[in-house]
Amino acid sequence: MERDHRVEYDVFEVFIQKTQADHHVHVGSVVAPSPDVALTTARENFLRREKAVNLWVVPKEAIVATSYDIPGWFAREMDRKYREVGGYSENARLWKMYREKAMKLEDIVRDLNRKPGYADGVNRR
Amino acid sequence: MITDQRHEQFMERIQRGEKIEATDWMPDEYRKLLLKLIHMHAVSEIMGAFPEKEWVPKAPTLKRKLAIMAKVQDEVGHGQLLLRVAEDLAAPLGKTREDLMEDLIEGRVKFHNVFHMESPTWADAGVIGWLVDGAAIINQAALLSTSYGPYARVLKRICAEESFHMQHGENIILALAGGSKEQRRMLQEAVNRWWESLIFFFGPVEVTDAARRMIDYRIRTKTNEELRQQFLKKYVPRIHSLGLTIPDPNLRYDEESEKWIFTEPDWKKFGEIVRYNQGPKSQERLKLRRFAHEDQRWVREAMVRSQKMQVV
Repeated sequence: MERDHRVEYDVFEVFIQKTQADHHVHVGSVVAPSPDVALTTARENFLRREKAVNLWVVPKEAIVATSYDIPGWFAREMDRKYREVGGYSENARLWKMYREKAMKLEDIVRDLNRKPGYADGVNRR
Repeated sequence: MITDQRHEQFMERIQRGEKIEATDWMPDEYRKLLLKLIHMHAVSEIMGAFPEKEWVPKAPTLKRKLAIMAKVQDEVGHGQLLLRVAEDLAAPLGKTREDLMEDLIEGRVKFHNVFHMESPTWADAGVIGWLVDGAAIINQAALLSTSYGPYARVLKRICAEESFHMQHGENIILALAGGSKEQRRMLQEAVNRWWESLIFFFGPVEVTDAARRMIDYRIRTKTNEELRQQFLKKYVPRIHSLGLTIPDPNLRYDEESEKWIFTEPDWKKFGEIVRYNQGPKSQERLKLRRFAHEDQRWVREAMVRSQKMQVV
């Protein structure tokens, strides 16, 4: 029977970690006869240019996923602005009354790498 | 009745601009149209490596050799990514990757006409990167908005790498265009050789039933002719700017219809080349592909067997 001739590889999902400060990110999948070969194939398919520090290959059957057919699973039953930075945009206007600016996370991170003293964006009086 | 309802919901999703995933229910017609398109795309990437691989040993400098090798690797890599998408679509039809590859060797799936043609000079290697990849990028970029999610995702990666191919090809032809009289002659001859194939590449002018259905399903959003016009708009002025001529005395831009007028390629000749694999290089390249597939079958079998033994 012709069908017996067919060699079937397993499917492995591929996750790339670009730097150790990043999580592994799914980029696609490969077929391979073993996890070892899957790692090599994944490197050849997905990392011919991009740099990475780590690769995961995971057998497709090991992935547990939600269904696209149940969009309600991700439903937002109400406005969640109160959980987000954008929900507090009035702060900027309120700070203005006190001649100050609203502070952002990026300002804090940037100033951490600078010498102490007055931070940028903070008025000297 | 249930199927009708499903079909209706499916079309609503498509019209809302949602992406369809491999595990979603889809009409048989959608699956088959997609599979046909992606299967052909995948094997064309693989066969596309052949005309260029012929130039790896003969590249004029080490830098050119490394770059063209990288390109050949990319084409085969794209074939792999696309086969992953195709085999998931084919699985419910009882077909595996092996079947998809055998379809190529046995002539049951077509690959793009341009990869059936000869690439006799180094200028052909350049023109393939410049104009053939240029045409392919227009096709692929138009597919980025396809309704099938897995295809859209691999196309993103493919397009990014194709833009390297385009630069690579342009760099080769710009060197030739600024070179000796002999080099310019070689470049002109390559353009002459490829022009008709390039016009054919985009497919028939009329919108076939299958093409219409693909547009209905938002698998594609542009017609062949729209894409060919894009190609002409972008490339005709650039070809002329290099002082090269285009071997079509009827080629002109018609202000009134806002369209490029061109001589139609020999549809019958090229149609038969792709249908029966009877282009000048079709059989030779398919023979190499068959060799890669069949003579290395024992390696694939051994790897699968050794893995099974380890698991036991």
